[in-house]
Amino acid sequence: MKPKQNQHPLKYSIYSLIAVVAAMIFFFPIYWAFSTSLRNPLDTFTVSGFGIPFLNFEPTLTNWVDQLATEEARKAVYNSTVIAVFASILALALGIPAAYALARFRFKTISNKDLTIWFLSQRVLPPVATVVPFYLIMQFLNLLDTQLALILINATFVLPFVVVIVRQTFLDLPIELEEAAFMDGARNYGAFLRVALPLAAPAIAATGLIMFAFTWNEFLFAITLSSKEVITIPIHMAGAVDTRGVQFWFMAVRAMIAMIPPVLIALLAQRYIVQGLTLGAVKG
Amino acid sequence: MKTHRNTKARFVFLLPAAVWVLTFTIFPLVYSLYLSVHKVETKMNVSREKVPMLDASGNPVLDAKGNPRTKIKINREKISTWTNIGFTNFKRLAEDPQVHSAIKVTSIFVLVAVPSQLVLGILLALLFNQRLWARSFLRAVMLLPIFATPLAVGYLFFTIFYEEGGPLGFLGVPFLSHPDWALFSVILVDIWQWTPFCFLVFLAALQGIPNELMEAAKMESKSKWGLFANIIFPMLTPTIVIVLLLRLAEAIKLFDIPFALTGGGPGVATQSMSFLAFRTGLRYFDLGYASAMSYCLLIIVMIIVTLFFRKLRQSYA
Repeated sequence: MKPKQNQHPLKYSIYSLIAVVAAMIFFFPIYWAFSTSLRNPLDTFTVSGFGIPFLNFEPTLTNWVDQLATEEARKAVYNSTVIAVFASILALALGIPAAYALARFRFKTISNKDLTIWFLSQRVLPPVATVVPFYLIMQFLNLLDTQLALILINATFVLPFVVVIVRQTFLDLPIELEEAAFMDGARNYGAFLRVALPLAAPAIAATGLIMFAFTWNEFLFAITLSSKEVITIPIHMAGAVDTRGVQFWFMAVRAMIAMIPPVLIALLAQRYIVQGLTLGAVKG
Repeated sequence: MKTHRNTKARFVFLLPAAVWVLTFTIFPLVYSLYLSVHKVETKMNVSREKVPMLDASGNPVLDAKGNPRTKIKINREKISTWTNIGFTNFKRLAEDPQVHSAIKVTSIFVLVAVPSQLVLGILLALLFNQRLWARSFLRAVMLLPIFATPLAVGYLFFTIFYEEGGPLGFLGVPFLSHPDWALFSVILVDIWQWTPFCFLVFLAALQGIPNELMEAAKMESKSKWGLFANIIFPMLTPTIVIVLLLRLAEAIKLFDIPFALTGGGPGVATQSMSFLAFRTGLRYFDLGYASAMSYCLLIIVMIIVTLFFRKLRQSYA
């Protein structure tokens, strides 16, 4: 169903106005953090109006500079990046071949459909149900407070996205291309590596971004398995509430640092979000 | 593709991921079940002993009289004792007022937040399915909250709900200090974060309704409401069911937002089931009891999820 082309001008104006107000409501909290991050700490609660920089207060970059100068902040960005990148790569390495198998081969003992659903089912598993055993396992393996522990666990929890999105992409590829590769003497691996994989590259890139965002945002396992070395951005943020109360100006900077990458990803990977987040039940 | 596709190669493709998932989900879940029928007590044994002081090359350091000098070494040893106590943890759950409160908090949260997100999502999708000024730009702005770090969102709203001087301070509402309002605030934040997702999915579903069908329907039904009730809503129903089940399964795990926004308080007014299980297990280290708690949560989620996957299976067919 496409939007109608001819519409009453009054209706058009009213609807547009409601849409603008709705968008402003969803934008306001992010804007407020941005505005707070530019304020002199003394101005935090005294700005007038909507706290518009230059108009309602004199903006300053001090909070940003002070925050980014601390070693913990840089460490948090570094840890979050390393964990998110490697968890995504690991999940892609495991998930792409599995997605290909589910799209192109036929399994007999357990049907492809049931196998797919089994892969997806861990997405909805409550993380808190595995947090205690993971804590004990990582303690036993001496992996508490390491990047490796968080990489392994996050890779597991984002794996379903690869299976959902990449499997569907392989299914949508014309099978004739791979058949042609077989005619030319390619084996299964050749058809997969040289034909299917390059064609699925855009979907794979989008999946990688979505997984990066999810790992970047993950908090429960991070706070459970890390104590002082492997501080991620969300843990760093939780640390802004200290004995002196909440330092709103630093909090705002940290919240912005945390949110900028995943929010950009949401805009870039739009097409795949519907498909990925509904586990393939709705096509985007 | 008949001949090549039944080779053993299919296992090479599938097995790494399958083994990985088995190891990282089934094993912890079995372990957790085992934990839930145990009482785990961790004691720290501290003992002191005198050890000779050594210099850099490993020789004992002597004092003025020629006797080896000693220092006191403190040995800390963690001793965990596991006692099988059968279903005592589960019985304790049934009688624990904290658990009752957490169930109540989670239920109210889920029953208010999820339907609100669905209704708002549908309304916004219908709105954005019209011709609008700067439609794609506004649509993009609406999507910003989808991937915003939930914990950051919690802290963000902490600054917004701040009662003395926050941007909503003029309302005079005790957003975070009154138990009922605090839960309401948590719900509001979740609505803010998840309505855009519902909106996006419903918009995709609306745009999937064929134009011919809409034209034919317009011929038949006179009123707009009739069009919605007889055509659009039935077409959307499968999507609504999917989004509803998915949101139920997600919302019941509520953790990050109360952690940041209210710390579970005031008192235990916003302490959700996940939050309570986390505190019990990893703050008070009552591991067995926490496992029993999270297992109950797991069972509830599994019931919802089974319904969801039955629907999902149909949509794959």
